[in-house]
Amino acid sequence: MNLIGQIAKLRAIRPHYTEADLRELARQLQVPEHRIQELVSFYPHLQPLPKGAQLFQVCTDVACLLRGACELLERVVADVRAGRCPEAAVRPCHCLGRCDTAPAVLLNETPHRVRFDRSGAALDCEPIMRSPHEGQDWQLNPHRGSPPYEVFLKWRDNPTAFRAYAIGELERAGLRGMGGAGFPTARKWKAVAEANGSPKYVICNADESEPGTFKDRELLGRFPEAVIEGILVAALAVDASQGIVFIRHEYEPEAAVLDEAIESARARGLLGANAFGPARPFDIELVRSPGGYILGEETALLEALEGRRGEPRNRPPYPATHGLYGRPTLINNVETLVAAAAILARGADWWLGLGRNGAHGLKLVSVSGDVARPQVCEVELGTPVREIIERCGGVSGSGKLKAFAPGGVSSAWLPPEAADVPYDFESLRSAGSMLGSGGLIVLAEGAPIGDVALSICRFFAEESCGKCVPCRMGTAQVVRLLETVQEDPAQELPPAFLRDLAATLKETSICGLGQVALDGLLSLLQLFPDEVLKRTDRGARSGGNGSRSREGSGG
Amino acid sequence: MIRITIDGKTTNVREGTTIWEAAQQAGVEIPVLCHDPRLRPVGVCRVCVVELGDGRIAPACVRTCEPDMAVRTATERIEQHRAMLLRLLLAEHPLPCDAGRIGSCELERLGQRYGLVDQDGRVADPVLRRLRGLFLTARPKDLTSPVISVDHSACILCDRCIRACDEVQCNDVIGRSGKGHGTQIAFDLDVPMGNSSCVACGECAQACPTGALMDKTLTQIDGSIHRLEVIPSVCPYCGVGCTVDYLKDADRIVAARGRRGPGSDGRLCVKGRYGWDYTLHPHRLRVPLIRKEAYYPKRPLTTASSGGGKPSRHPLANPVPDYERALEAFREATWDEALDLIAERLAEIKKRHGSSALAGFGSAKCSNEEAYLFQKFIRAVLGTNNVDHCTRLCHASSVAALLECIGSGAVTNVYRDVERSDLILVTGSNTIENHPVAATFFKQAARRGKKLLVVDPRRPRLADYATWYCQILPGSDVAFYNALMHVIIRDELYDREFVRRRTEAFEALEATVQHYPPERAAGLCGIAPELIEEIARAIGRARAMLIFWGMGISQHTHGTDNARCLISLCLLTGNVGRPGTGLHPLRGQNNVQGASDAGLIPMVYPDYQPVGNEEVRRKFETAWGVSLDPKPGLTVVEIMNAAHEGAIKGMLMMGENPFLSDPNVNKVREALANLDFLAVQDIFLTETAEFADVVLPSASFFEKTGTYTNTDRRVQLGRPVLPPPGQARPDWEILTELFNRMGYSCSYSGPEEIFLEFAALTRSYRGLTYEALGTDGKVWPVPEPDSPEQPVLFADRFPTGSGRGRFVPCHYAPPAELPDAEFPLVLNTGRVLVHWHTGTMTRRSEPLDALCPEPYVEINPADALALDIETGMQVQVSSRRGSIVLKAIVTDRVPQRSVFIPFHFREAAANLLTIDALDPYGKIPEYKFCAVRVEPLGTRDE
Repeated sequence: MNLIGQIAKLRAIRPHYTEADLRELARQLQVPEHRIQELVSFYPHLQPLPKGAQLFQVCTDVACLLRGACELLERVVADVRAGRCPEAAVRPCHCLGRCDTAPAVLLNETPHRVRFDRSGAALDCEPIMRSPHEGQDWQLNPHRGSPPYEVFLKWRDNPTAFRAYAIGELERAGLRGMGGAGFPTARKWKAVAEANGSPKYVICNADESEPGTFKDRELLGRFPEAVIEGILVAALAVDASQGIVFIRHEYEPEAAVLDEAIESARARGLLGANAFGPARPFDIELVRSPGGYILGEETALLEALEGRRGEPRNRPPYPATHGLYGRPTLINNVETLVAAAAILARGADWWLGLGRNGAHGLKLVSVSGDVARPQVCEVELGTPVREIIERCGGVSGSGKLKAFAPGGVSSAWLPPEAADVPYDFESLRSAGSMLGSGGLIVLAEGAPIGDVALSICRFFAEESCGKCVPCRMGTAQVVRLLETVQEDPAQELPPAFLRDLAATLKETSICGLGQVALDGLLSLLQLFPDEVLKRTDRGARSGGNGSRSREGSGG
Repeated sequence: MIRITIDGKTTNVREGTTIWEAAQQAGVEIPVLCHDPRLRPVGVCRVCVVELGDGRIAPACVRTCEPDMAVRTATERIEQHRAMLLRLLLAEHPLPCDAGRIGSCELERLGQRYGLVDQDGRVADPVLRRLRGLFLTARPKDLTSPVISVDHSACILCDRCIRACDEVQCNDVIGRSGKGHGTQIAFDLDVPMGNSSCVACGECAQACPTGALMDKTLTQIDGSIHRLEVIPSVCPYCGVGCTVDYLKDADRIVAARGRRGPGSDGRLCVKGRYGWDYTLHPHRLRVPLIRKEAYYPKRPLTTASSGGGKPSRHPLANPVPDYERALEAFREATWDEALDLIAERLAEIKKRHGSSALAGFGSAKCSNEEAYLFQKFIRAVLGTNNVDHCTRLCHASSVAALLECIGSGAVTNVYRDVERSDLILVTGSNTIENHPVAATFFKQAARRGKKLLVVDPRRPRLADYATWYCQILPGSDVAFYNALMHVIIRDELYDREFVRRRTEAFEALEATVQHYPPERAAGLCGIAPELIEEIARAIGRARAMLIFWGMGISQHTHGTDNARCLISLCLLTGNVGRPGTGLHPLRGQNNVQGASDAGLIPMVYPDYQPVGNEEVRRKFETAWGVSLDPKPGLTVVEIMNAAHEGAIKGMLMMGENPFLSDPNVNKVREALANLDFLAVQDIFLTETAEFADVVLPSASFFEKTGTYTNTDRRVQLGRPVLPPPGQARPDWEILTELFNRMGYSCSYSGPEEIFLEFAALTRSYRGLTYEALGTDGKVWPVPEPDSPEQPVLFADRFPTGSGRGRFVPCHYAPPAELPDAEFPLVLNTGRVLVHWHTGTMTRRSEPLDALCPEPYVEINPADALALDIETGMQVQVSSRRGSIVLKAIVTDRVPQRSVFIPFHFREAAANLLTIDALDPYGKIPEYKFCAVRVEPLGTRDE
């Protein structure tokens, strides 16, 4: 167990642990105290829980902001102060991956659904145990119409042939990574397959944390066997002997489902000492993230798995050759692995037969914000954005579309005129944005643009790991700049500065977080230059000289 | 080789070279903040970004060169990015920060270069001005460390201090706390630096590019740091002999910086970096002193030297108790009066009682030149070989064993060669505290996967880094090593070829260690037989093993036997004469190797030429123009015993303070008081000087030129930094005066002339001159000016009669004084990191004294419980020879049934308790083992 695991264990036994406990832990494990401090101060889920109080956290990112997160926060604070509800530490936090039931909250680190009681009576707050969208089946499910693990069982004893088949089919299908970067999947598999070194690892990145994104959550909770088969076939193709699912802490209900599925796969002999044949072991370990958006970045994720602060690595070398513990490592997003399993079950032609407007394949889109029914939509790539919004019951509120971000808050916002753009990698890029994580966030006419802009900037500033100068300093200074401009109308934004700063962030930041951190703000400034500078009351969250005092993502 | 172009210049570099390194080679300067060539690159400041041929941008410090890469280091785009990054950092940086104020902030310097800040430190960029208005509350300062100031607002999180602390010094104190913009460097669990486990080595401050971590002394200077004079020299403390640059402001030292060299590589410890201020202490002797009539007959002048009673508590400003009271016993004199008196009294004793009634103690703190001149004075002028120094108290037994077994008393390899070892054995050495910089290389080696075996009854901090730590029972070394050799021979893991070709008397060893099967040895040394077997196998299979040892081996009545065992182990496994192998007794004093080389030993002339050898004696008689005494002289403890008995009547001491350093101090006090005449040359009025008739003020290390030979045999030049205070004079000058006044006419133009005279009489130093030493020094032997340096000795033969190494087997024997019902505990003595020997220097260093101001005794929790003792309580520790009162610290670093006391403190001198039993060969006292009793006094020290 690495040091993060040791601290998590301590926290599980002593949720309100003290400095003396940490000192004792350092002594027992013979590690320098600063290594423990580095971790507990970095990872939200390693920090001690407040003593004698519930911990109530509310997401204040875009989708939740639009659905009253700030009012909820104020309300709970007032209730606690007035003694109307139990003693609680109330804190804002970042995206919990439950934008479809916004405002998303955690009560004592468990996801809850809150219902507003307009009469002013007590809040209705119940734990979320199951997906709100249970029952929908998706074409992406490789086990739709066939028993689970068929592909894996078919090829298990013939890995060499399978490697060629798998990489060939994925290449032909043109499958691209669904986590955000859109890197061609076949190339990644091929690089790991050809890399020297053993053991090799396959990591399923289930640390979905981009605001407005919750599609992996659905796959994990509803199609756990599809995820497992994705990992199995990937491991078979690249000759890995260990699989890891790195899942965000806030997906505990989904993790429990996956755990069960892993257990039964193990019981069936699909995992374990002879998973790939006699004396050819393979197993999957489920690792819960200690918290932080940055861990979705693949090299930060590796650092966390190795027991260090989740700070992205300089590349090259890339994980394909120098990944976990310096070994060849394949890291794929949940949806990518499921899609790969589906393609390998049905053939590339099936995938190529899907898609519209010249694009191929399927995409899960998380739709949130100002729509009537926020949900995960399975669409054919190339489906016009407008159609996707319609499938979610259309724009809510004023009913009139003001802007949308097609790929989470990392993507640039597009105006209503762009609603006919086909939802696929190339078209969205041509339109000046990106598909990103597939999180479509919709703003209706009347949305508080200034609040949205500030919330996005705060998100990146507060989720920056702090390793490299441009991201650590740039994102925080932009927040302060925006705050001062919004507070004092006499102040102006130095526009050229923001553009230059964005260029520096894009070209000198170590990882994607810093590289795209200003894209949202710059696009909003371009679309709504005046509105960005205004803030409504609900944007004025606690925190003044904010960023230093706030918690990281996921509470 | 890889060919790349940088700004149009083509250059060929080795594979793995970074772009930044390649640019350096090509003479292109790429700005950096987070990078330091001594450290692993991390690529976090991004200031070093460059443009590649395809337009992509890469950080030069971490990106390695690829074939045909075309790098442009200063395109407009790149320069814009750099300016932006500097703007972001300067937006929250104090202008100027403490380093900027003296012109040493690398960030501010770059800011000026990019036009963001003007030459006077004012903001010159409108956007920067705007950004500086955003953050109104500055991050805090932390001034809790006595030596380093921490300013979080000046910190740019470059990670240099963290790498310096964790990876270079391996002290593991600094990390990053928090996340994102809120991240700060932090000590341990984010406690103030002064409360943390920081050992104040200052490596972090040396690595810091801004004023975030700074030597406090540098925050107090006026004007630019660049106007300070930089004097390359060495450290005056331990035998590691680190290379140091001293920064001088008018007539004060203001800072010491590690200078990169072949030994210490620019690293320093707390003493070397911060302990130089003793030389400026008001207690320094400035004029010659003569004892007043009223103070005869001689008696102790202070409670400290009276050997009993509780000294008055001292304020921090005066860490040396009762100092003024001692001064009152003396009157000031002129040099002529004092020198004439010494000459007259010594001549008188010689005339009346003969030369053998005289003796001299030199010091391993003085230079080679002074050591040479001192022994020449004692031998050629006083006519006796009764000349010795504190080497007798540290490695005499090691040297005896080394000379006997391999024909040479010095180390066979240098400490940094651990980089080529695969097993490192450190035994009887608290290296982290006593040879801190050498220890950094051991720690690093262990971190890099080399096996580290630590053997010591008192758990040293190095054990935390060890593959195996063996807490053997005190005094059981021979049993333990015999058992290792038993297994190695039994399992045929020894180097047959080496034993056959290079050694003799193997059968004798085999016959002796046969009696030490692990099961039996376990009962003697307390180490489980399985562990003995495991370690023996690892040693037997190691490709290259280096052995280091310290006083824990040598300071026993069987210290020579202990060293013989280590030598046998190396010979048996063929671990001498190759890279990464060897025998290295870690030398204590900065010049204990050199003082011994220079002949400050009763039985040998310079370069270990025996006084008993007629041919040798003739050579020296010719060189010095006098006839010499063929009889070897007495050793340190023998001289004290002779003084006690009245056989020695007159003594000259140069920089030695036997009062605190010799065993059984009460007896030393009586011996010193018993002398007819004692003259002392020193920089302070030491406890020993309290018994002097005449005291002469000497120049300190910082006030004179001279060479010093470190534990590696590296001869290095110390250069004067300051003028001597008052009338103080260098020891060599004082000695020259005495020569002339006693009828031996001599004059030297300076230390180098003395050095050349000394070198010419030796083989090891013969080829050396000051010029040849340069700033890096040279490892002896250097018989000819062009001799190649030989860090690893004895590749082919040993300098013995037969050319072979000799096994000298030994049997286990118990220590001299075993615990009993009356004195049930074992006392172990030693040193602490921040103090030096008798404390004359370090207790007068403000920062060092602040770090460790008072004496203490370490006691095991089980014993403490039984005696009802808690940490902080005053206790009385007594042996058959004396008793002292000091503070208790309860810790499991000491094993049960034993206690540890550092010997630096005059108010609770550990050597009042120690026994003066001697090793029969090395004549070294058993400092590491005697029986004591501990009693609580019931008062808690608050």
